[in-house]
Amino acid sequence: MIEPNVIVIGGGPAGLSAATEIARSGYVVEIIEQRESLGGAIHRQPIEGVHPIHQAAGPKARWQALAQAFAAARIPVRHASVFVGVDGDGRVLIENRRTERVEQLAPKAVILATGAVEKIYPRPGWQMAGVSTAGGLQVMMKETGLAPQGRVLLAGSGPLLIAVAAQMARLGNPPVAIVEAGDPMRQIGPGFAMLGHAALLREAAGYLSEIYLRRIPWMRGTHVEAIEKEGESLRATLRRHDGSVERVTVDRISLHDGIRPNDFGLPKETMESMTGPLILRAGDCREALGAFAAEADGRRVGRAVVDILSGNRDCAELDRTIERARLAQTTLAALFAPVDPRPPLGQLPDETILCRCEGKTVGDLRRLCDRADRLTGREIKHNGRFAMGACQGRFCAANTAALMAEINPDAPTPSSEDLTGRRWPVRPISIAALTGATSQNTENE
Amino acid sequence: MSAQTFDWRGRSIPFRAGESLAAALEAAGILTFGPDALGQETRYFCGIGACQCCLLRVDGVVREACITPARAGMKVEALEGQP
Repeated sequence: MIEPNVIVIGGGPAGLSAATEIARSGYVVEIIEQRESLGGAIHRQPIEGVHPIHQAAGPKARWQALAQAFAAARIPVRHASVFVGVDGDGRVLIENRRTERVEQLAPKAVILATGAVEKIYPRPGWQMAGVSTAGGLQVMMKETGLAPQGRVLLAGSGPLLIAVAAQMARLGNPPVAIVEAGDPMRQIGPGFAMLGHAALLREAAGYLSEIYLRRIPWMRGTHVEAIEKEGESLRATLRRHDGSVERVTVDRISLHDGIRPNDFGLPKETMESMTGPLILRAGDCREALGAFAAEADGRRVGRAVVDILSGNRDCAELDRTIERARLAQTTLAALFAPVDPRPPLGQLPDETILCRCEGKTVGDLRRLCDRADRLTGREIKHNGRFAMGACQGRFCAANTAALMAEINPDAPTPSSEDLTGRRWPVRPISIAALTGATSQNTENE
Repeated sequence: MSAQTFDWRGRSIPFRAGESLAAALEAAGILTFGPDALGQETRYFCGIGACQCCLLRVDGVVREACITPARAGMKVEALEGQP
């Protein structure tokens, strides 16, 4: 087997387009993908024998074109393989989940294309079984071709909620309601600005017409204040813009408050290195702008790597597509701006879980922040175990940093990276797998 | 429908070829995956292997239910055994 010149972590739009670009220039490239199929979350493939779920025409056509170009380039893929990190000697460590062994690679360049994670604001009860992210609910539908069972409430903010609702309806189980913090129908300025992004607008209009046809309530200017267990069900408290409160009993609740780069624990970007590979980021893990931009960004980063490897150090020009996607995302954010400023995290009751992995609450953080000696983000992690758990702070670091800033506004504002730090492994891994790490050459002895 | 199954805490769970453990448990109506080391319940959450909320013990090895394909005969347990 030929050792690849370049490895790409993640087989979503950014990873596939970057790899295709590199293969076209004659370099040996390989994709590392944690699942058995390619596509990323946005193009999650259905299991064998299952029809793909309804998707707008634009994204569907883009996937077909991308998948075709990728297939034509005949790029090898290591499936069921999880990126662990780059060690001190510059070796790239990959955990092969089939063999339960860690493989070592020594490529000239690594492109990180690990996509986005969803932002989820803490609400009392968000950690309970039956509560998932809306993206999590959606990829499950994409994989199985089945709607989630029972009464489902979608809540948070943004266009994803509408897409998920429309897809659920097509599969025969529309959500009970969509609870939306913003009110895009009242945002006249951003509404007009959206006209400049016809493809996105067409996609949204398609999903919205489905919502109206099926009479799915789209409760705008409303947010989920708390979730409680009620027997086998979940009871959500909804607070409207006018202050009125409503309670609904459902079986599942799916939350979504936007997306952010999945850049936790990843190594720093480096364009020149004496000991290790070049490391670049592509797509949503660099800047979360969605699939369209991710694909363009993958091409850009693929070209940049080829330029560097072939000794042409001119930096590739930033694709105009990415600039356009950035504008579109800014407009969307304005369109879905919360009607009421989001209630400060400081209003959350003490028992609200902030860090799920370690079971740390808002009250725990308050006590740490009330000490006479102010703690830094790093100290909050080490003393309080916030962002110390298995998820590496992916779902709590930003919220913890924001609440710290609210509690002690006069202290220097902490960032999520103050809490998480940057170190591998990117995912928990057993010591046995690590100590048994094999290099490519000795693998077949 | 295939007759392939894996074992979930003593219960036989059917799955379709290619399905993740999370999808098969979901289809069987199982929402809670049992306690973690702190006694908190684990469950399906992000679906992309990021949140570590759906950790299970698969033939003794800790794995994310959402990115682990179901295979016939697997023995799947809660992270910390029976409650």
